[in-house]
Amino acid sequence: MPEPPQPEQPQPDRPHISAGDRAAEDGAVAATGMGGAMDLAATEAESLEPAQPGGAPGAPERTRSLWSDAWRDLRRNPVFLVSALVILFLVVIAIWPSAIASGNPLHCDLAKAQDGAESGHPFGYNGQGCDVYTRTVHGARTSVTVGVLATAGVTLLGSVLGGLAGFFGGTWDGILSRITDVFFAIPVVLGGLVLLSVITSNSIWPVIGFIVLLGWPQLSRIARGSVITAKQYDYVQAARALGASPSRILLRHIAPNAVAPVIVVATIALGTYIALEATLSYLGVGLKPPSVSWGIDISAASPYVRNAPHALLWPSGALAVTVLAFIMLGDAVRDALDPKLR
Amino acid sequence: MGRYVVRRLLQMIPVFVGATLLIFLMVNVMGDPVAGLCGERACDPATAARLRHDFGLDQPVWQQYLTYMGNVFTGDFGTAFNGQKVTELMGSAFPVTIRLTIVAIVFEIVIGIVLGVVTGLRRGRPVDTGVLLVTLVVISVPTFVTGLLLQLLLGVEWEWIRPSVSWSAPFDELIVPGLVLASVSLAYVTRLTRTSIAENTRADYVRTAVAKGLPRRRVITRHLLRNSLIPVVTFIGTDIGALMGGAIVTERIFNIHGVGYQLYQGILRQNTQTVVGFVTVLVLVFLVANLLVDLLYAVLDPRIRYA
Amino acid sequence: MPPEVLLEVRDLHVEFRTRDGVAHAVNGVDYAVGRGQTLAVLGESGSGKSVTAQAVMGILDIPPGRITRGRILFRGQDLLKLKESERRRIRGAEMAMIFQDALSALNPVLTVGDQLGEMFVVHRGASRKDARARAVELMDRVRIPAAAQRVRDYPHQFSGGMRQRIMIAMALALEPALIIADEPTTALDVTVQAQVMDLLAELQRELTMGLVLITHDLGVVADVADRIAVMYAGRIVETAPVHDVYKAPAHPYTRGLLESIPRLDRKGRELYAIKGLPPSLTDIPRGCAFHPRCPMARDVCRTDVPPLYEVPGDRRSACHFWRECLDG
Repeated sequence: MPEPPQPEQPQPDRPHISAGDRAAEDGAVAATGMGGAMDLAATEAESLEPAQPGGAPGAPERTRSLWSDAWRDLRRNPVFLVSALVILFLVVIAIWPSAIASGNPLHCDLAKAQDGAESGHPFGYNGQGCDVYTRTVHGARTSVTVGVLATAGVTLLGSVLGGLAGFFGGTWDGILSRITDVFFAIPVVLGGLVLLSVITSNSIWPVIGFIVLLGWPQLSRIARGSVITAKQYDYVQAARALGASPSRILLRHIAPNAVAPVIVVATIALGTYIALEATLSYLGVGLKPPSVSWGIDISAASPYVRNAPHALLWPSGALAVTVLAFIMLGDAVRDALDPKLR
Repeated sequence: MGRYVVRRLLQMIPVFVGATLLIFLMVNVMGDPVAGLCGERACDPATAARLRHDFGLDQPVWQQYLTYMGNVFTGDFGTAFNGQKVTELMGSAFPVTIRLTIVAIVFEIVIGIVLGVVTGLRRGRPVDTGVLLVTLVVISVPTFVTGLLLQLLLGVEWEWIRPSVSWSAPFDELIVPGLVLASVSLAYVTRLTRTSIAENTRADYVRTAVAKGLPRRRVITRHLLRNSLIPVVTFIGTDIGALMGGAIVTERIFNIHGVGYQLYQGILRQNTQTVVGFVTVLVLVFLVANLLVDLLYAVLDPRIRYA
Repeated sequence: MPPEVLLEVRDLHVEFRTRDGVAHAVNGVDYAVGRGQTLAVLGESGSGKSVTAQAVMGILDIPPGRITRGRILFRGQDLLKLKESERRRIRGAEMAMIFQDALSALNPVLTVGDQLGEMFVVHRGASRKDARARAVELMDRVRIPAAAQRVRDYPHQFSGGMRQRIMIAMALALEPALIIADEPTTALDVTVQAQVMDLLAELQRELTMGLVLITHDLGVVADVADRIAVMYAGRIVETAPVHDVYKAPAHPYTRGLLESIPRLDRKGRELYAIKGLPPSLTDIPRGCAFHPRCPMARDVCRTDVPPLYEVPGDRRSACHFWRECLDG
């Protein structure tokens, strides 16, 4: 911690720092209950400061150059390219699963239950005799849909609430902080079990709603932090001194610079939400058959694991690769946006 | 210090009330607390009405919550679906989950920190890149997949462990489940330690320690580690609450009769008192762990003072 | 009789591998310090003065740093040929270093007593109790009030000046023959700077140590140094007894430095500033590295690297035109 030279007197009373603030400052992010990936996202985002443009008047240009610099870095980063390709592929098969799997995922033949791979059915059959390949391909649609919609909801709700709280401060900020504390105190999987167990609907909406309900505090905390940091920069103070309206300051000067950490966390969060949906489905409270989802398939395959491990491995692999792709993408974007690493 | 603790305890109250109220509402408003009480059959309307009255369910929700919390603070957590006291269930379930959490924490400390230190000191070398990649993969694979795969490999294919843990759940049977529970946090601890070590290696005070002519070992253990582990220790502390709450998946995979198992049963049978009781205790554990971590922080870092 | 030579740096070259190419931080530095002598090493940041010192102490970051050529003789022994374990025994015990920013150079989570006492524990095998007692003595010696109580305090609980005294105490702990002080007063308040500098000079005289004082502050130099070595772009450009330099510099860079000091007798006149910027270490100009900024530069300066010319009066200058420079 750099500090100005000090006068020649002992200083028993330096400014007090609360341990909590200190912990956050040092990157000791409290476990979020969302699992390590969310912790990873949070620390990464917190170490990523909002963009700080050099001169006051050039703010928007500098922001653009941060992103174009990042883009130049990313295009040459193999990790980014691979994960982006995987994600692109996932999105394509989520939209047109029949492009590579023409079968009906709900068509099962009990006579073939637990059979291994055969021609036309490269992944074999699961415990009910359904084609594992077709189900794995079709499962991507559910996962990607849940992940994208949940992330959109969380990001919108979290960054608006957090951003406004960070910008205006005061009572609302205090109340919002307490509310987020409440949500952090509830373990996510547990909350999911309790809330979703009483819901009988068969659509993906309860799961999305639940993820948004328990996920927004994480994002609001990140958004709040980066808005507070960006607010202190000189060019924002200058804009304020020039009499710009609060909404103009927030939208034109703060938001473009505070958005980087939010984007990084949202990308990584997308991966974790896909994993969360699968976990909830595995526990029997997320999506339910006849929905086609990797979590359901993994759960259904686990009793037959001794005889038909392939029915477990293929959807598990697809799930792991998907989550990994989003986390690596977020990681790469983060590195590209961090000026300290240049 | 005393004043700080009091202030933190006061701050915990609204969080505690908020979290328990939220769970209470989810269970009571959205589910039917009476449904599970008549066993597998549906209750006939007369019995249901009587039960509702007996349990005070005909009162407003906030009053139910207050009554429940009043009971909780006198040590009465209510009765589970099979007529057992919820406190008895806790008495059998918590020791199991605590053992599981201890195993997980030990893994985090031993493996996570060792890997983090090794990679942090060898940044950019193959071992660093390799471990970093593995941690990303471990973080990406959901715990239930890791668990099922390890169970398949170690328990079924190679028969090194019993695929399901016995009722008494002794420590030796909890090693693999503990590793599964720890896996994601373990990977995160590795990354956190690595970053922290790598940052501190370049710190001026480490250079001073070298200039003092200290042996490399002493520079690392006494100067580098002491500083680098502060954020790691605090993370592991706050992770205790998260691990106990997250144990539900691991316990289901390995059929461990701990907190997660009881909670799962409670939810399946829609037993309000079990669910709310266990969650209340878990929330308390989480809050207390966080408070202790904040206090521990001051012990580890003398620059921190409590105001 | 000239004093016993303690440290001799000969033709030292250090480079750093960076993303932007190889940075030539030190390009053939020669200097020597005798017992009880103070050598001031002067230069802008990036001139290689700190890197040379780190190479001498053996605390250079390798990689990315690399010593490509040269010798570092300490009491006639080439340090670069020693094993790391042998060098370690010299570090702290026979040569010690004082860093610029004591707040970051002291370990924030250990008490100052622990950090001072550690020297005795590691090098002398002292017991913890003994080490603590010696730490208190040391703190007394650098005039920290109430040393016996404050030995249990942490670095952040001291003021900047007191912290720098602790840094000095730590360097002096084992009464080394040589001390390297890297801008020891730069981070301090002006009022405190003189006190700390006086203390350092006084202890140096008392223990007849050799002192390498790295600084960019010419004001400090005049009071305490015997000799001066001016560095530019990784080379010594001038070395001479301190007062001769002030009277008549033999290198245009030194002249520029001297003229950029505000002086009372030139009040009202515009302050001189050397034009241009120090060169990038990855791309040092051909010929004399200073030529793009030199008011006296001629064609030969753009092509030929000037050797260190012998100048009468035990001086040297790396300027083709040192005579003209001396004459002003």
